[in-house]
Amino acid sequence: MAAAAPATPVQASKRAGERQEALAGYAFVAIPMVLFLVLNLGTTFYAFFISLWDWNIRKGPEEFLGLQNFVDILSDTTFQVAIKNSLYYTVIWVPLTMAIGLFLAVIVNQKIRGRTFFRAAFYFPAIASSAAITVLWIFLLQPDGLFNEVRGALGLNPLFQAMGFGPNQNWFGDYHTAMNSVIVLNAWTTSGTFMLFYLASLQSISNDVYEAAAIDGAGPWDAFWKVTFPLLKPGHFFVATVGVIGGLQLFDQALIAGGTNGDPNNSLMTVVLYLYNAAFVQLNFGYAAAVGVVLFLVIFTATLIQRRLFGNTQAA
Amino acid sequence: MRNRLFTALFASAFVFAACAGGNGSSGAPTTGTGATMPPAGTTGPADTTAAFDPSTITGDVRLGAWESSPAEGLALKAALDGFAAKYPNIKVTQETVAGDYRVQMVTNFGSGDVPDIFYINAEYAPEWMAEGFLEPLDDYIAKQGFDTSAFFPGYADVFKSDGKTYGLPKDGNTIAMGYNTDLVTTPPATLAELVTAADGLKGKGDLKAPICVNPGLDRGLAFLYAEGGSLLTADGTASAIETDASKAAVQWYLDLIKNGQAMTPSQLGDGWCGEAIGKGDVAIAFEGGWLKGALTNDFPDTKWAFAEMPAGSAGKATITFTAAYGIAADSENKDAAWVVLQYLTGPEGMQKWTEGGIAVPSRSDVPVPEGFDVIVKGADYAKPGSGFMPSYNDVQKAFQDAFTAEVTNETYSADAVVTATKAAIDKALK
Amino acid sequence: MHNPPPPRERTPGNPDGPPADLLKVGGPRGAPLAAAALVRAGEAAGVEDAGPVGDRSRGLRRKVAYALMIGYALLMFVPFAWTVITSFKTRPDALKLTFIPDPFTVGAWQYAMETLDPGIVQLFTNSALLAGAVTISNLVLGSIGGYAFARLRFPGREILFLIVLATLMIPDQLRLVPVYVLFNTLGLTRGLGQYIAVILVLAISATSIFLLRQYFLSIPKDLEEAARIDGAGFFTTFSRVMLPLATPALAAVTILQFQGTWNAFFWPVILLRDRDHWTLPLALFLFRENGGQSTNWPPLMAVIVLATIPILVLYIFFQRFFVEGVASSGVKG
Repeated sequence: MAAAAPATPVQASKRAGERQEALAGYAFVAIPMVLFLVLNLGTTFYAFFISLWDWNIRKGPEEFLGLQNFVDILSDTTFQVAIKNSLYYTVIWVPLTMAIGLFLAVIVNQKIRGRTFFRAAFYFPAIASSAAITVLWIFLLQPDGLFNEVRGALGLNPLFQAMGFGPNQNWFGDYHTAMNSVIVLNAWTTSGTFMLFYLASLQSISNDVYEAAAIDGAGPWDAFWKVTFPLLKPGHFFVATVGVIGGLQLFDQALIAGGTNGDPNNSLMTVVLYLYNAAFVQLNFGYAAAVGVVLFLVIFTATLIQRRLFGNTQAA
Repeated sequence: MRNRLFTALFASAFVFAACAGGNGSSGAPTTGTGATMPPAGTTGPADTTAAFDPSTITGDVRLGAWESSPAEGLALKAALDGFAAKYPNIKVTQETVAGDYRVQMVTNFGSGDVPDIFYINAEYAPEWMAEGFLEPLDDYIAKQGFDTSAFFPGYADVFKSDGKTYGLPKDGNTIAMGYNTDLVTTPPATLAELVTAADGLKGKGDLKAPICVNPGLDRGLAFLYAEGGSLLTADGTASAIETDASKAAVQWYLDLIKNGQAMTPSQLGDGWCGEAIGKGDVAIAFEGGWLKGALTNDFPDTKWAFAEMPAGSAGKATITFTAAYGIAADSENKDAAWVVLQYLTGPEGMQKWTEGGIAVPSRSDVPVPEGFDVIVKGADYAKPGSGFMPSYNDVQKAFQDAFTAEVTNETYSADAVVTATKAAIDKALK
Repeated sequence: MHNPPPPRERTPGNPDGPPADLLKVGGPRGAPLAAAALVRAGEAAGVEDAGPVGDRSRGLRRKVAYALMIGYALLMFVPFAWTVITSFKTRPDALKLTFIPDPFTVGAWQYAMETLDPGIVQLFTNSALLAGAVTISNLVLGSIGGYAFARLRFPGREILFLIVLATLMIPDQLRLVPVYVLFNTLGLTRGLGQYIAVILVLAISATSIFLLRQYFLSIPKDLEEAARIDGAGFFTTFSRVMLPLATPALAAVTILQFQGTWNAFFWPVILLRDRDHWTLPLALFLFRENGGQSTNWPPLMAVIVLATIPILVLYIFFQRFFVEGVASSGVKG
């Protein structure tokens, strides 16, 4: 406004103050920003660079390949299995866990005694490490493990027999059931987390809405489907986005239960495990970096699709 | 509050500075990794004329090993005790690499911080040789006049590449036929007899199937060889899985399952074929020396014995599984490491290592521990069961996936298996 | 991006908060039409039980809800209870369906302490050091960064903050190879450098900065301005006035980061090579894999118990912050 006005003492001191504040601001953000710029942004560009090379773990770049790594990845049958597995896991696990999480959130959201306890209980498995949980589940689900024993003792075996599972089904060891076991495992671990997300979302819905619905004669079931569920749209979007990103990154459980090959029979080979395998078993660093780029693009696309699907929602 | 925060700030600044400083100071060892390689090849002045006398070498050596059982740890200790008595000038520190040995070692190689001497499984020997992780041993062998002729070629060949030797087998196994002596009185000597015997065994006792077979090349390759088939041409430069003999052998293997003579472990509901024969689910399984320990421990009541693999139309055949000792290209104590290596793979060290029965000797001049005669007999004519070509893992995977699909879909046709395997071989050889 | 409410304002699931009680809506006030809907509800969902309008239906529904909640809670606890039980069993007993160890033995614990290499004590120390360092680093860097982004005006602030948020979009796996290559050249893949590598890569997360920035934004400016008028410098204002006010947010960051690092698997499995440097989760993975065909379960279960206890204790005492941290950050540990 007051362009090129002669600096009065007040203005000068104000400007000095601003400069001081700016300097303080830079000083405050310096260390975190250097870390972000080097370890996040820098390495991201570096990943794109490495992905164009034949890269030796000890000697670095050996031969410039252009996009050859990407061509090889897309035509590799194991990668196709890996991406299929990752997508299958995500498509089943996310809705399943969302449904359980929402269900738990709705129950726990009631005014009933002990709900703090139940809320804490449902979140409980999420506090343990993925390694602990996976090792524990391998123990529970082995042929003569607790799960098979208990269902036998409860007389549930005919039911499982009807589904084609013998009394000593090796859940992680049989390629038909390995991935589904991981899905159940992670639904068990994460349902409490999704419940918390949904609780936050549920509590942003005003009571007035329900009053209005009740006056219109809607029962709890109708109220839920016609009022709560649509109003939770930002919550759905948020949980689904977080879920899909997490699902496509499935790794810990696959490596711990299936080793670097995603055994049995590639059934636990996920995209990230494939990447890990390419880097530290096949020693193909450039190729592994390229897998990372592909994964990034897949996640990015999935997020965009979801955004489109859920419309222009403002999150809770 | 303020003081604590300051301390914390300082701490983080320090961490950061340490990292920045690390840049300069630790740049040296990393570039040193490359720089130490050329001198390594020439290995000092000793290699010109003077004969190499192991007992004059001194130094500290780190030895990297996996340990699949406590008994294995004790056997290694026995061998190392023997070494310490004979070569008191060299101190060996054993480092047991836990977890995925291959991944752990590869990251070791990558960082340049690696044991001097270590196990190399045949499975990944070609990759490690090609990547330059391993020190060639030929100079040492020549200098010392170390006799390598006693090693069975089916073991030793795996660790040679381009005329150089990168490892010497520490022990080895061949695949043999384990059979239940209650159900099988005379073990079949040919594949034709095997089929007949299997038909006769159907429905006997509590058998779920007469034979247990793995749906992969880890056993199938032995049958492929027995029937005159092969994965590669004789010079190893092209695929031979599409030849008539190979295809017929694959079909024969599939037919065992098709005709109810054999089942895979997953069909049987067992973890592996050893468990299947131990439990009495099958009467015949094809395994290596490890079957003995497993059955003795877990199924002491099962009566069984080893026999040689039944001969096929091309005669006797079996395959080997082995591991070697090798020396790191980055090692700074190569001479001392070699002294350890020549002892552990020599007759004395190998006897100490194998006499407890946890491993089978890879040399013909070491006494065979009790119960492993058949395994050693097979080593006379066995061919490598892994590590004989690059990316063999991918080839195995292709074969197994296609084979399993044929079994699962009950189509039992060798065509798809051969096609998939050929594609993988072509890719691996490219 | 999602703008979570400032943690101080509202506790998700806070018992005192105004819950949207679904049952209350349908029950007593329901018009005749509701009855039909309720029947369907009872059949399909099994939660909101059907029945004549009135208190009885509410009681019944409540019973069903309790049954479901107790059932699910049991499902959450039983595996852990089984872990504890198994850790006091002998190896053969471990695979039997007996709820009281027979014989009851601390042999597995002894084995885990004395025979496992590295033993429990060392693993525990490693995990604690790593988690402690990462937590402190996130608190320090997150609060100074969060404060600057919330309160200090400087050119480029928006773009820098955008960069911070954008890193949330980058999957860790994309960084695996370049981070490893970078640290390898820096010599941070050998010896104690491996620790520094893990600490560096986890030193500051966008979540920490974001959470603290949001919190600082919610604090009224008056106090700060008063301090400034008294002549306090920027840093004094931050550390003496603002930081103490941000305790709840700092607590949430502490819990999130400590739990996240204590349980971390991905970066440790990539960067911690030497067994002497393993953390508890790594040890669990590698011990099991090493066990080969017959795993020795009781000592492994002991390690699981020990790996979970510290977080469990935190959870029991600071449950509120877990809930807040998770719900408001939207990023699980």
